[in-house]
Amino acid sequence: MTTKAAHINDDLIEALRGIVGDRLSLAEAVREQHGRDESYHDAFPPDVVVYPETTDEVSDIVKLCAARDVPVIPYGTGTSLEGHVAALKGGVCIDLMRLDRIISVNPEDMDVTVEAGVTRKKLNEDLRDTGLFFPIDPGADASIGGMTATRASGTNAVRYGTMRENVLAMTVVMADGRIIRTSRRARKSSAGYDLTRLFVGSEGTLGVITEITLRLYGIPEAVSSAVCSFPDLEAAIETVISTIHAGVPVARIELLDDVQMDAINKYSKMDFPVLPTLFFEFHGSKNGVVEQVETVEALATDVGASDFQWAVKQEDRNRLWQARHDSLYACMALKPGSKGMATDVCVPISRLAECILETRKDIEETGLLAPIVGHVGDGNFHVILLIDTEDKDDLEICKAFNERLVMRALAMDGTCTGEHGIGYGKMDFLVAEHGEAVSVMRAVKMALDPQNIMNPGKIVRV
Amino acid sequence: MSQTLKPETAEHLLEVLKWAVAEKSSLDVRGNGTKQGFGRPMRTTHTLDLSGLSGIKVYEPHELFMTAYSGTPVADIEAALRQNNQQMAFEPADLGPLLGMAEGTGTIGGVIACNLAGPRRIQAGAARDHFLGFNAVSGRGEVFKSGGTVVKNVTGFDLSKLIAGSFGTLAVMTEATFKVLPAAEKTRTVLALGLTDTRAMKAMSQALGSANDVSGAAHLPAAQAARSGVSYVSGAGQAVTAVRVEGPGPSVEHRCQAIRGLWADKGAQLEELHSQNSAALWKEIRDVRLLDAAEGKQVWRVSVPPMEGAGVGGELLGASGGEVFYDWGGGLIWLAHDGCPDANHDQVRAAVAKAGGHATLIRADADVRGLVPVFEPQPGPLGDITRRVKQGFDPEGVLNPGRMVEGV
Repeated sequence: MTTKAAHINDDLIEALRGIVGDRLSLAEAVREQHGRDESYHDAFPPDVVVYPETTDEVSDIVKLCAARDVPVIPYGTGTSLEGHVAALKGGVCIDLMRLDRIISVNPEDMDVTVEAGVTRKKLNEDLRDTGLFFPIDPGADASIGGMTATRASGTNAVRYGTMRENVLAMTVVMADGRIIRTSRRARKSSAGYDLTRLFVGSEGTLGVITEITLRLYGIPEAVSSAVCSFPDLEAAIETVISTIHAGVPVARIELLDDVQMDAINKYSKMDFPVLPTLFFEFHGSKNGVVEQVETVEALATDVGASDFQWAVKQEDRNRLWQARHDSLYACMALKPGSKGMATDVCVPISRLAECILETRKDIEETGLLAPIVGHVGDGNFHVILLIDTEDKDDLEICKAFNERLVMRALAMDGTCTGEHGIGYGKMDFLVAEHGEAVSVMRAVKMALDPQNIMNPGKIVRV
Repeated sequence: MSQTLKPETAEHLLEVLKWAVAEKSSLDVRGNGTKQGFGRPMRTTHTLDLSGLSGIKVYEPHELFMTAYSGTPVADIEAALRQNNQQMAFEPADLGPLLGMAEGTGTIGGVIACNLAGPRRIQAGAARDHFLGFNAVSGRGEVFKSGGTVVKNVTGFDLSKLIAGSFGTLAVMTEATFKVLPAAEKTRTVLALGLTDTRAMKAMSQALGSANDVSGAAHLPAAQAARSGVSYVSGAGQAVTAVRVEGPGPSVEHRCQAIRGLWADKGAQLEELHSQNSAALWKEIRDVRLLDAAEGKQVWRVSVPPMEGAGVGGELLGASGGEVFYDWGGGLIWLAHDGCPDANHDQVRAAVAKAGGHATLIRADADVRGLVPVFEPQPGPLGDITRRVKQGFDPEGVLNPGRMVEGV
């Protein structure tokens, strides 16, 4: 399946060394690591990994590759989930983690400009003294460049949106090596097509993102968390719907099903009831937060919830959310030696209960061990399929299950991927979901990368 | 001979576009035509009138989204939302009156195509941020759709964002799906009187950076405040800085108190507007009704980093002899000045470039808009991409040719 790029040769390696010196690796272990993300997808190592330190170096590397028709694969922390970083046709992997400077913080304008390799945790540590923070939290300590390229979101999208709402501008090295700045720090109104948003979520297929200007938020005066168990799934989702409909600006709402709660209890040594459970987080002023919690508690109690636990103290909150964040590891502990394959459908909230219940039934009928967690405020949920990657049958059963799940979501007017993206793992689902729009996407790809050297084989086939 | 084509269905629209592509005819794409004076003047073979594609297709209040045909008047949409106590949170501006057209006649397609958003933009985002998906016909005469009805969707390139703000140059939307959100139970506005422009920017930044969830921050110099229909504002006799707080009653009162506390050391008189007066003031700000927009005046919309607002505003005043007011915490400057053949283009662009912003000529006669770039000119590589994207969607140049950039 791997077809090596024809033009990788000693001459190219020498030319790359001319740009990055010894910040280049041909070692098999390094290449292997850069061809694999956190998913179950097969790894495809690049031919060489380079570690530039500036946008200009990235530009020189891309120019070199463009002149020789060599694929370019941008790489951040490798935490994607659909094989986004796999070098399907070999090529040069640009590891951007050495572009790790925070270029400028503008507290009064509430924005920050960073290089692509800055991770979200490092950014927030640096911002701490300004009273501001960057809220998007996909779980992994991903790089801002990678989060931008995959249009990441995560647990608090209900209140703060996703990367698409929070990237103001960026610097991109185009497929021909030219450097462009897509917008400026000013809020964009109309200065041509919105190329900033086009690059957000382009998965490295249109250019290499090297700098990003992000919108920041004031650290909330008060933060509070709550956990609440429900007699059944419908009651939990009813509470989510009524909360959102009441206009409560809740920061996070996470649903964990009974299987997941059991896993968490075992892994994190907690003693939550083994029932469908919602985790909430509230941000705001002191009074505002109290009001939000009381409103939600009343809504939950109305549908028969019990045991509404409210945590204000930081260590209690951390303990709760750590348990939520560890859910994938907790799942894997249920079946030692397995790998998690996370599905990612998103459906309208009114269809969420129906979709999850049908999926639960499918899990039981297929005989899988698969907990469900969901960012239910926006209708997005993940089934964690615990698979033995060595066992081809197991993998096929799980893939077939995922296909049924995606078709179920599409039939309910949903999408095959709410936050993980297409990569090379979901290209067929993209066609099933969008049909003709894929040809328009191909036209966009051809307009920006006519040679098809930017992360080829992802999102659309050219 | 030039015709006006008015399709009544998506199928009919597709036929029209296929015909136009085959004939290599160009089309002036419009809804109710309220924004025909916005953008570069065009010479097209025919007019494509989308007002026949009208009506709300799906409205699910509990799902917080609506799908409407592109020619649906915004006024109809807002009326339907009001019945369910909901709103379009991006607060679309009605620029009709500013552009010499009737109030309340713009269409949802026009709002999205021009990416119009009001004062709540700083909190809730622009039209594009609320635009979830669409059905359209490209300039190749091909039907396509993108996005959907759910908020989170990462299926490939985000075509919705490309279409929003493309002024009908890439594709003709037949229907649009957008978010709708609960309307606030209560609205209040805290006013500070008599601040200079510079001090006002600081005060607004302080309020916006606090945990008080400010949903509007504008500064009106004395002459512009005096034009308000809200007596507290027009009667102030000095500059008025306004921040808006929305939400449930007790929370709004608490946050207003907190902002008054933040501003206690400003040495300015503080006032508060309740719901009705707040609504009236923010509508005037949204629809740019506080400038002298007499016939012959030209109007620019200038976007800069908020803290540069006062400085750029001062330069614009010096260069044009006009008047300004500020929205988005200082990040948006509205400038009106006497008409002149070059619309003070060079001076405006120079002032804005230094601050790292962009300027759009919103109102001027067609001959002026044909002469000076209406939109911020794009440097080489960006201009190339713009041309290539246009080429990808509309290779024959059928849709609104030259509306944004000459020859594109």
